[in-house]
Amino acid sequence: MRDQLRRWGLLSPALAILGLFVVAPLGFMAFVSTLDRGPQGTVVWDRHSLDAYVQFLFERDLMGRLTINTDYLRIFSRSILLAGLTTVLTLLIGFPTALWMAFQPLSRRGFLVFIVTVPFWTNLLVRNFAWILLLRDGGVIDSTLRGLGLTSGPMEVLYTPFATSIGLTYSFLPFMILPIYVSLEKLDRRLIEAAFDLGADRWRALRRIILPLATPGIVAGAILVFVPGLGAFISPELLGGAKSMMIGNLIQEQFGQSRNWPFGAALAFVLLALVLLALWLHSLRFRRERAQP
Amino acid sequence: MGQASAVGVSATDHAVDCRALTKTFEGGTVRAVDEVSLAIRSNEFFTLLGPSGCGKTTMLRLVAGFETQDTGSVFVHGQKLDGLPPYRRPVNTVFQSYAVFPHLTVAENIAFGLEMRRRPRAEIATKVAEMTALVKLTGLEARKPNQLSGGQQQRVALARALANEPRVLLLDEPLAALDLKLRTEMQLELKRLQAELGITFVFVTHDQHEAMTMSDRIAVMRAGKVLQVGTPAEIYDRPASLFVADFIGETNLLPATRIGARRFRLANGAELEAAEEGTGERVTLAVRPERAALVAPDGEGIPGTVEQVVYVGADTTYHLRLAAGLRFRLREQNREGSVVRLASGDAIAVAVPPAAVRVLAE
Repeated sequence: MRDQLRRWGLLSPALAILGLFVVAPLGFMAFVSTLDRGPQGTVVWDRHSLDAYVQFLFERDLMGRLTINTDYLRIFSRSILLAGLTTVLTLLIGFPTALWMAFQPLSRRGFLVFIVTVPFWTNLLVRNFAWILLLRDGGVIDSTLRGLGLTSGPMEVLYTPFATSIGLTYSFLPFMILPIYVSLEKLDRRLIEAAFDLGADRWRALRRIILPLATPGIVAGAILVFVPGLGAFISPELLGGAKSMMIGNLIQEQFGQSRNWPFGAALAFVLLALVLLALWLHSLRFRRERAQP
Repeated sequence: MGQASAVGVSATDHAVDCRALTKTFEGGTVRAVDEVSLAIRSNEFFTLLGPSGCGKTTMLRLVAGFETQDTGSVFVHGQKLDGLPPYRRPVNTVFQSYAVFPHLTVAENIAFGLEMRRRPRAEIATKVAEMTALVKLTGLEARKPNQLSGGQQQRVALARALANEPRVLLLDEPLAALDLKLRTEMQLELKRLQAELGITFVFVTHDQHEAMTMSDRIAVMRAGKVLQVGTPAEIYDRPASLFVADFIGETNLLPATRIGARRFRLANGAELEAAEEGTGERVTLAVRPERAALVAPDGEGIPGTVEQVVYVGADTTYHLRLAAGLRFRLREQNREGSVVRLASGDAIAVAVPPAAVRVLAE
C-alpha cells in the first residue's frame, strides 16, 4: 500500500504534465469536434452532432441530400504523397550525408553536427520565405539559369507542388540526417573492415552491413520527417500556392478564415488517426521481424 | 585458388613476406612500423609479440590491407599485395573484438564471405555445416550473436574467416577478451586447428605466455621494430637484447664489467662465469630465476639473505638480497611437496652455472 502510494507520488509530475499538455488539449479538441458550428464562427457548446466528420466525406446539396465529396480526401492523399516524397528525398540526401559525417575524424564531427542544426536557429517562416526569393521567376536560380543560357523562359517552379516538396525537403532534412548519423556513428568500424576482409566491396558492405545496422536510425528519421510533414503548413502555404494545399493548411484555415472549429478539430483527429495507424502498422511489422528466430 | 599462378610470382615459398615495411601516423611523427622485413613460412604458427603500441597490430593491418604502408611491400605466397583493397587479398582476419555481424545469425555470419565470393548455394550450406562442426558450434546456427557467449562469438569469427579457405589467417589478439580458462582452451584449439587445416596463422598478442604456448616462431617487436625472430625456446633461452630478455619471462638483469673472456664482475664485487663470451666491456648478465640454485651460505656461490618466500603451488619463488644491495629472484620447483625450507632472514648463497648466464651488451 505504501509502495503503491510512493509509486503514484513519484509518477505524478510526469502524469500531470501528460494530462495537462496531452490529454486535456486532445480531449478538448475531441469535444469541440463533436459540437455544432455557431453562427458567428464559434461553437455552440451544448449542441452535439457528428456533422464535422460527415463533412469530411460528404456534402449536402441544395436539396439537403448527402453526396460524396472527395475534395478533402484529395487534400489528404496529396499530403500523404508529398510527405512520402519528402521522406524519400530527405533519405536520399540525408543518408549519404550522415554516412560521410560519421566517417569524418572525431574532432570534425561535432562541428558538422552543429552545421546541420544551424538552420534551426532561424525561424522556419523566414527560411521558407528565402526559398521564395530563390525559386520565383526572376529570382536567383531563374536568372542564373537564364543568364547561363540553360533556360529560355521563366522556370515557373514557385507555387507548384514541386516547390512545396523542395521546401519540405529542405525544412525536414536535419530530422533525417541526425538520427541516421547517430546510428552510423556508434556502428563498430571493425564490422565494416570485417565485411571488406570477407570479400565484400564497398557497395556490398553498404548494403549488407551498414544499411541493416543503420535501419533504426533510418526508421526514426522517416517517422520524424513523415509525421510532421503530413501536418506541415508553412511550406505549402508560402511555396505551394493554392493548388498544393495540404492538411495542415486546411486545418489552419478552419480555425482561421473559415471559422469552422468543429470541422478543423475533426480534420485534426482524422490526421491523428492516420498517423497512429501508420505507426501501429510499422510496430506490427517490427514486432514480427523481431519475433523471427 | 589460381591466385598463386598469377603473373608476378616471386621465387619464394614464404606465406607472408614483408619487405622494408614502414607505416607512419599523424603526419609521419609516429613511426608505427619502422622498416620491418619479415618472412613467415608456409604452414607456420607465427606470432607477433610485443607491448601495446609496438606496431604489431599495424603490421597485421598492413598485410590485411586496412592500412596502406608508406614504403615497402607485402607478398603473400609470392603475390604482391601492394595497392590491393582488403577484399581482393587472399588473407582473412579474426578481429580482437570479434566483429561478428550482430544482425546476422551464426550461419549467416559464416556464409557471408562465401556469398561475397558468389559460391553456389549448396556449396555454402555444406561449408557452413563443416565450419560450425569445426569450431564446435553445431546446433547454434540460428542464434544471433547477442545470444552467444564471448567464447562462442570468438568461434563464429574464426569459422567465418576460415570458411573462405584463406592461405593465411591473421589473428589480432583474438583471445584478449576471454577469461583465463576459456583462453587456455582456445589456445590449444587454435593450435589444433592450425595443424589440422595446414594453413599459416599470423597471430598478434601482447601475452608472452600465449605466444610461447602456441607459436612455431615468434617475432618480438618494440617501437615499430622487430628485435628478434626465433622459436619460443630460442627467444627464451637466447634473448638477443636486454628488452627481449626482460619482456619474455622473468629474468634477473645484473649489470657487470668484463674481467676475462668469459668472466664478469658484478656491482657487488662477486664474480660470475658465463659459457658464452658476448661483446662489450660493460654488459648485463641475464639469469633466469629457475636456472640458479640455492646453496648453503658457506658453499660455492654469491652470498646473500632471503628477503621473501613466495609459495605458488608448483614452485616457490625466493626473493634474495645479495651483497651491496643486489636483488635476485630464484625459483625452485616444489618436488618434495609444499615443504618450505627457508624463511626470510636466512643466510644463503646463489650458485649460477655458466650455461645459465646470458651476456647482453649494454
